[in-house]
Amino acid sequence: MSETTPPVLDCHDVTVRFGDVVALSDVSISFASGAIHAVVGQNGAGKTTFARVIAGLIDPNEGSVRISGRDMPKGSVNDARRAGVELVHQSFALPPSFTVAEAMQFGGAGGKLYTRNQLERRWQAHLDALNINVKAGQRIRDLPVESQQSVEIARALVTDAKLLILDEPTAVLSPEGTEKLFERIRHLKSAGVTIILILHKIREVLAIADTVSVLRGGKLVEGPVACSGVDADKLSELIIGPSARPLDEDDRAALTGSASSLHTHVGVSGNDVGAPPILDMKSVSSAPDGDGPPLGDVSLAIRPGEIVGVAGVEGNGQRTLVRALSALTEVQSGTIALDGKQVTTMPLQGRRIAGLRVIPFERNVEGLSLTSSLWENWSARKLLQGSLLSWIRPSALRSECKSALDTWDVRYATVVQRAGSLSGGNAQKVILSREMDEDARLIIAAQPTRGLDIGATAFVWDALDKARRRNCGILLISSDLDEIMDICDRVVVMLSGRIAGTFEPPYDIARIGAAMTGVAHDR
Amino acid sequence: MTDSLVSIARALVFIVVALVLCAVIFSIAGFSAELMFSAILDGAFLRNGALNHALRWGLPLFITAVGVAISFRAGYFNIGAQGQFYVGAICAAFVAEWTSGAPAFVVIPLCFLAGMIGGALWALWPGLLRLRSGADEVITTLMGNFLAGLLLVYVTSGPLKDQSGSGQQASSRPLDAAYRISNSLGVSPTIIAIAVIVGLSMWLLVNRTSFGMMSGLAGRNPTMVTWQGAKLWKVGLASFIISGALAGLAGTIELMGPNGRLASGFLPAHGFTAILIALVANLSILGSAVAALFFGGLASAALYLPVIAGLPSSAIDIINAAIALFITARSQLIDRIMRFRSRANG
Repeated sequence: MSETTPPVLDCHDVTVRFGDVVALSDVSISFASGAIHAVVGQNGAGKTTFARVIAGLIDPNEGSVRISGRDMPKGSVNDARRAGVELVHQSFALPPSFTVAEAMQFGGAGGKLYTRNQLERRWQAHLDALNINVKAGQRIRDLPVESQQSVEIARALVTDAKLLILDEPTAVLSPEGTEKLFERIRHLKSAGVTIILILHKIREVLAIADTVSVLRGGKLVEGPVACSGVDADKLSELIIGPSARPLDEDDRAALTGSASSLHTHVGVSGNDVGAPPILDMKSVSSAPDGDGPPLGDVSLAIRPGEIVGVAGVEGNGQRTLVRALSALTEVQSGTIALDGKQVTTMPLQGRRIAGLRVIPFERNVEGLSLTSSLWENWSARKLLQGSLLSWIRPSALRSECKSALDTWDVRYATVVQRAGSLSGGNAQKVILSREMDEDARLIIAAQPTRGLDIGATAFVWDALDKARRRNCGILLISSDLDEIMDICDRVVVMLSGRIAGTFEPPYDIARIGAAMTGVAHDR
Repeated sequence: MTDSLVSIARALVFIVVALVLCAVIFSIAGFSAELMFSAILDGAFLRNGALNHALRWGLPLFITAVGVAISFRAGYFNIGAQGQFYVGAICAAFVAEWTSGAPAFVVIPLCFLAGMIGGALWALWPGLLRLRSGADEVITTLMGNFLAGLLLVYVTSGPLKDQSGSGQQASSRPLDAAYRISNSLGVSPTIIAIAVIVGLSMWLLVNRTSFGMMSGLAGRNPTMVTWQGAKLWKVGLASFIISGALAGLAGTIELMGPNGRLASGFLPAHGFTAILIALVANLSILGSAVAALFFGGLASAALYLPVIAGLPSSAIDIINAAIALFITARSQLIDRIMRFRSRANG
């Protein structure tokens, strides 16, 4: 990198502490202008904290941040903005009830009186200039996630941004959406904007970034180095660190994306084609329930020892599918059989007794009660399979919970601590230990690895695989195609509440992607 | 374990702070803070027979507070204890009237049954409205209090009116002495036994049954419990019914024990003091027992405030209100303090 211009961003010994936790420790890094820089690391490595420090949202305890050679006063969003730094958050911060134009107005400067027409004219021009195909008068909540993200980016570019930080921008996107985003990013780069991408998928890093930096445990362990000089295996080693347990080959391939796009998956267990299915959904249609499109004529069978993956862009009926299987949404027509037993009208309690287990989408809302203790959270499934008036022995439950959590390698202090005090990966393990017991027959795993770091992700996959070997049927809903292609024996794609395609290994990512986005592909 | 210790310490701090605040206010108003404290200490705890007085007020309060705690734990803010208390007492009074002349061992249990059913019904309709159509139980139970208060006025000045009364305050015909479960001092083995039975059985229900655990979980995160396959309406309805029945039971005790008759607008702050007790106790049954004794003591101190400190006896209401203020501001306050501390450490 030539040093004629000062680096666009120069961090010197930045340290951030939250109470006793050190989120960033002595991070010194500088980024050359006009390039795409990736910052990678596991969950909790400090990536988001790093992004927030640069954007002035967090005041570092020590160290300094210089932007384009000028010292930035610590922890001031407005100063960072004035210096041309914009952050696009991981979870979108646009108010859902606003129109696009309103969101842009208030996200940026704002303050003056305006009419709706003026606003829309003003921002439509801005959107058009960025080649973003969205109407300024549409409400945010009516936009698909890809468009919401585009609007976020457009909002960040309202002022003359020199440095654009994107925090996990691909987490919500389909492969095609990701490709479009990357195109947009390359376009911005050619327009002279420096971009920092916070990512956790190595394949994406190598596909887009010019340099990569690795954070681990709040420390900078590598970088920025040119992406041409590293390969996927080296990066994954840097991210995980030397002490982590080795991953098996398939998992590593899926995590790094180093396998070719043609996945050669071989079913592990002897899933006997003749065995009666554990789940048999026949032409199930559901009532609209405000949580995505209703199911339309969904037929799906899962045999013992089989993992069936549900791929699809988020919001295409995956949630409704899980709710219908959990008796939380009304099935209008069609039948559901569990392990040969008709359960179409049976409530969730009965289905759970019959062997249904659910790892729900929202770990912290649907999966756990964060303000309740670990043992209460863990015991809930068991107790609910009996009568509400049955006696319990808390001490016995606590020790059962303790041994279960130990078996599942959960890191915790005591079973009476609140579930909310655990990290994401450990919280997920508590749910796994509850939902993947010996009596489980059909396990629905909805986004079981979302937000987890590489180690915890591999753990979850391992657990699903073990359940498969015990002849459970598993339904895996995920927006991560690598995950689905790595561990599923069969993949169905959902689009607008319907099954848009069924795929058997070896998987062709292009055809799955086409089915996800509704592009007609010889099906 | 540490959690409950923290909540005890927290409750004590708030009570002390509230008392100090009141002392400051009263001394600004020209009363002696010192005399106020000595009146409270003396009247509530030290004087001969103070324990008796504290129990007289504390036992019925405890029973109602346990009911409040049970519905609050399940996540339903049934603040209609006052109304359920009144309706329970009214139902018991009617049954006593109708069965008048029958032997006490028939009449008394029937009255208690009626009182509990009456209280339960008065909690049932807001419960059904909440669970079937989502009507906010805070509003409906609060309105229920006014309805029950008016019902009490009607009953005491209509069907059950005591014709020999002086007319100062409408009241019902006094109960036959054979049907009373205590004299007007209000403490008797029967009442203590009832309180102990309620305390034990409800402690078991909360801490040793599946229902207790599920209602605790549901109160904190109903979504999670739904995903576990619980029928929330079962837990919810049972909580409403139990809390109403206990308030009705307390009403019956007041009727058949210390009061001996219904008077319009009697014990108007009973339900709210019970809510305060449940909150101070952090919704624990054991804690409610201790808190009920404390507030029972305060109530009996009301008699001594005018005598010793020259304060009006309603000063106790001011003290209760101050404690209520601090307790309800609690979570906000604690959050702020915690945030401030973590910033100071960082």
